[in-house]
Amino acid sequence: MNLLLPVLVFFPMAGAVASYLCGRRDKRLRDMLCCALTAVEFALSAALLLAVVRGGERAFALEGFCAMGLTLRADGLRALYTAIASFMFLMTTLFSPEYFRHYHNRNRYYLFTLLTLGATVGVFLSDDLFTTFVFFEVMSLASYPWVAHDERAESLRAAETYLYIAVIGGLVTLMGLFLLYAQLGTLSFAGMRAAAAAMESPAALYLPGALTLFGFGVKAGMFPAHVWLPKAHAVAPAPASALLSGILTKTGVFGILVVSSNLFLHDANFGDVILFFGCVTMVLGAVLALFSTNLKRTLACSSMSQIGFILVGVGLQGLLGAHNALAVQGTALHMVNHSLIKLTLFLCAGVVYMNAHKLNLNEIRGFGRGKPLLHFAFLMGALSIAGVPLFGGYISKSLLHEGIVEYIALLGEAGQPAGLYRFVEILFLTSGGMTLAYMTKLYIALFWEKNATCQAEYDALNGRYMNRLSAFALVGAAVLPPLLGVLSNVFMTRIASVMQGFMYGQSPEHAVAYFSAANLTGAAQSLCIGAVLYALIRWLLMQREGGVRVYADRWPAKLDLEEGFYRPLLLRWLPNPLVIALTRALDELTDSIVIALRHTLLGQTKKHGPVPVGTHLTYALGTVLNAIVALLNHTFYHRRPIKTDFTVALAAGLDELRSSGRLISGSMSFGLLLLCIGMYLTFAYLMTLS
Amino acid sequence: MQGDLSLLLPVAAPLAAGLLVLFVRAFDERRTRNLFTGAALALTVLLTLPTLLRGETQLTLFHLTDTIPVVLRTDGVARLFLVLIAFVWAMVGFYSFEYMAHEQHERRFYGFYLLTLAALMGLSLSGTLVTLYMFYEAMTLLSLPLVLHTQTREAVAAGVKYLLYSVFGASLALLGIFFLQFYCTSLSFTPGGTLDALKAAGHEPLLLGIVALALLGFGVKAGMFPLHAWLPTAHPVAPSPASAVLSGIITKAGVLGILRIVFFLVGPDFLRGTWVQALFLGLTVLTVFLGSMLAFKETLLKKRLAYSTVSQVSYVLFGLFTLTPVGFVGALLHVVCHALIKNTLFMGAGAIIEKTGKTRVDELVGIGKRMPIVMWCFTLCAVALIGIPPTGGFVSKWFLAEGALSMGGIVYAWLGPVVLLVSALLTAGYLLPISTRGFFPGEHADLAALSKAEPTALMTVPMLVLAALCVLLGMFPGALTSFLQAIAGGVL
Repeated sequence: MNLLLPVLVFFPMAGAVASYLCGRRDKRLRDMLCCALTAVEFALSAALLLAVVRGGERAFALEGFCAMGLTLRADGLRALYTAIASFMFLMTTLFSPEYFRHYHNRNRYYLFTLLTLGATVGVFLSDDLFTTFVFFEVMSLASYPWVAHDERAESLRAAETYLYIAVIGGLVTLMGLFLLYAQLGTLSFAGMRAAAAAMESPAALYLPGALTLFGFGVKAGMFPAHVWLPKAHAVAPAPASALLSGILTKTGVFGILVVSSNLFLHDANFGDVILFFGCVTMVLGAVLALFSTNLKRTLACSSMSQIGFILVGVGLQGLLGAHNALAVQGTALHMVNHSLIKLTLFLCAGVVYMNAHKLNLNEIRGFGRGKPLLHFAFLMGALSIAGVPLFGGYISKSLLHEGIVEYIALLGEAGQPAGLYRFVEILFLTSGGMTLAYMTKLYIALFWEKNATCQAEYDALNGRYMNRLSAFALVGAAVLPPLLGVLSNVFMTRIASVMQGFMYGQSPEHAVAYFSAANLTGAAQSLCIGAVLYALIRWLLMQREGGVRVYADRWPAKLDLEEGFYRPLLLRWLPNPLVIALTRALDELTDSIVIALRHTLLGQTKKHGPVPVGTHLTYALGTVLNAIVALLNHTFYHRRPIKTDFTVALAAGLDELRSSGRLISGSMSFGLLLLCIGMYLTFAYLMTLS
Repeated sequence: MQGDLSLLLPVAAPLAAGLLVLFVRAFDERRTRNLFTGAALALTVLLTLPTLLRGETQLTLFHLTDTIPVVLRTDGVARLFLVLIAFVWAMVGFYSFEYMAHEQHERRFYGFYLLTLAALMGLSLSGTLVTLYMFYEAMTLLSLPLVLHTQTREAVAAGVKYLLYSVFGASLALLGIFFLQFYCTSLSFTPGGTLDALKAAGHEPLLLGIVALALLGFGVKAGMFPLHAWLPTAHPVAPSPASAVLSGIITKAGVLGILRIVFFLVGPDFLRGTWVQALFLGLTVLTVFLGSMLAFKETLLKKRLAYSTVSQVSYVLFGLFTLTPVGFVGALLHVVCHALIKNTLFMGAGAIIEKTGKTRVDELVGIGKRMPIVMWCFTLCAVALIGIPPTGGFVSKWFLAEGALSMGGIVYAWLGPVVLLVSALLTAGYLLPISTRGFFPGEHADLAALSKAEPTALMTVPMLVLAALCVLLGMFPGALTSFLQAIAGGVL
């Protein structure tokens, strides 16, 4: 039992309440308190990481929590990710006081941010899927106010999508957990692994596994459940976007890793599926980012694409089986890199937004001119995510690329066709190229091009566009990607070896040569593709308006899965008129029988009153019936014609139905009648007995 | 009269208090009446607590005939219902002091409010089916004035509808009593059932049919399809405290009836695998979906909550009809959770009506800014009703689904959990927008119009207590689940 683990989870949650109460009295004090709370959290998690690296794992269990118990464990990956999470919350919180200067409802923001921090740490430290799920749901709900924060119409809409997709994801995962627990009898990671290994065939676990995976995939932004991501990340306040993008998506990846390495370890079928979804996510995200003309949306789509890269790594782990050392390390490192890079880039976006209050590339172009600190931070992030050698992103992408190459070689040795995986390799390199292209697009627009209308305004901000605290947060985040890249043999190798145990990976037989000729060639290919694509962007995605070349939004608006498919599916097609009508009919079934009995058995007749007016429907139907009756009167019934006016009759019927539905008034007699039926049944039986 | 006389106290105290309030003119004065009623409610809660500490005792009140005794007994189920009902009833009672100040005929309301509690106390403690039936009918009649309270045309119509449905249901139950008296060794509730195997041999089809009718009869109060229609009619017209207890507590009386017949008279083994189990699993699953779907399409807040009750009480019945220990625990856990949740939700709806006069869901934009405490409680309970951890609703749903899956078979073992989750999604769809629009009215919301309208502590504290209990129960359900597992171990 190690009490540090629950403290890491519940300390921020208690702090959330404290900050809320404090914020009602004194806002400055609250800001300082929040910074202090996250700093303490970071210090504690760093201490945990050190302890774990030196002296093995730490564990904690709270029996009976939520009936199934809470188990926490810190091994390499979990301790490291706890530290990364608290680092990111620390940096964004330091950045927040200035960013939120002019915002309302800051108290709410801090309350939910600290709650989310606790829940996120809970997800990363969990040692069984039940605990993961509990904290995952808390995190999903607690992060909703981030997306809705500024309460603009588009934010509320994006937040709605975020909430319902999270709820749906959670429920589907819950179904998976029901089934897993019923089949395996345990949800602890180690227990599931043992139980799954003991099963003859993993096929019985595919459905529960897939359901469990769905909820995590949603949070990770995996295709086809990615729709919430670009919208939510773009509308949230920048510090929150950094966290959503950098750390909340990783909780989804964490869940996927739990499933892949405990239930489907070295399972090639599972690997293929994840590889497929990973590729689609990777390419789609990159393409969306290329087309985007909004700074934060581009970064959000980029997140989606990078998650795709990570998923490709997860898929390769399954495919490569026992030889998956490179894929494991690549996956782990790309997670870390992406978290840190997105922190930097979204904080840069935050700097832009808090000064210019705009995000459209055409409006903010030229903002970064003459702002060296911002320039430096953005460049570090951009170069790293594009996979330029000497930066962190290069290392992880190279490892993933090597993983693909290795699998192709393995297939070649076994004499199996590898064409499909060559295609995956091409997609991988192209996506890498697209990463470079869209980051260049942002970089050129922000720092090199001049703004036609408000360049002077932007230049006037130079030197006083952010305060020291914000600058500290920004630079603190920005120095990490190059540091990790340059000293890759010190940091990257260690990080990878610390993390791989969670995925049951082994260290590769030889030390990895990150800067080997093959790796550098791969990066060079990617970068060349990127350069060509950027040229294409300038040619195809820009147009001349009033003498200035502007970025044009050429993405067809109809190609929107959410608006075109999911919303109609959930709001129109599933609860379709037929289902509604059926439920209504069932709802009124008994009442209708009562009414029918009143008219027949009890012989109640309607009173005479003014001629009722029906609806359009009864009028139309009545007219049709009248016509038919008129026809019949002329043909068959001409001796005794039917004289009912059906428009009136139907309207009267409708009135009757409505009023009866409202008021099953009538009398006691009906109740007694029913009572009598019961009695008759009894007596009938008693008669037969005797 | 023989046995443990102290069992009479929880019934007698509210009975006496209720009669006093009804017939003593002095109680027309609000302050005196509220103090007295509050004291009576608190006293009843206190009087129920000793049953938790002592073992199983019983009291024979009198004999209807030589062979039909009227018996009170404190077995596990009785204790659970007794304490739960007394506690929630008291909480809603405290809440109602502020709410009812704006209604007429307060004295009548509180008189019948206390009398209904007395009937419910008796119902919980009933040791035989006849005793249960007597208190069941008494409860129906005594709670009728709560529905009729406003005396509008609609209230009267709704009251009559409530009465007719209930009387019809009770008549079916009575039919069951006649037959069970014949086929059971006794009508005294015994874990595992008292069915006389010799007499029943050869008459199984008839007996199953009769049991099905009786269960359908008790299902009326539990709002089970096809006899659920009184619920969405009666709840919106009753004053909010009355709708809260009608929804959260009175529906549980039907659950108690079904539970007693299935597990304490007929015995689960007799029903397992029969068409009766299949029929009721089917009906409950249908009701779960139906209720949620109708709630999703309903725009009147109280009616939406009423349809939600239709759906949620059938979660409980579904758990019972799985006839598995885990499902049983889940069902009773959901009885507790739903009682806490639905009362809080209705109290929230009542607070909104009382302070702003708004009854429709689409009028509630920005309500969270006006009454933050009320809406926080509402939101917590909404989250719990959807079944999001770490709240009580999640834990009960977990047990219910595991119970269904442990049932074996294909159709309901799978369909049950799937429908529970679809219903949970619909629940999110009909409850969360109220909270999200309430707390996030949008940047163009007219903040000036959003004046504070928070009710006093008399209203907010009961809501806070129930909402907090609901969350705490989810986080630390250990004591309750082991209590329920002990009961389940006895009957299954």
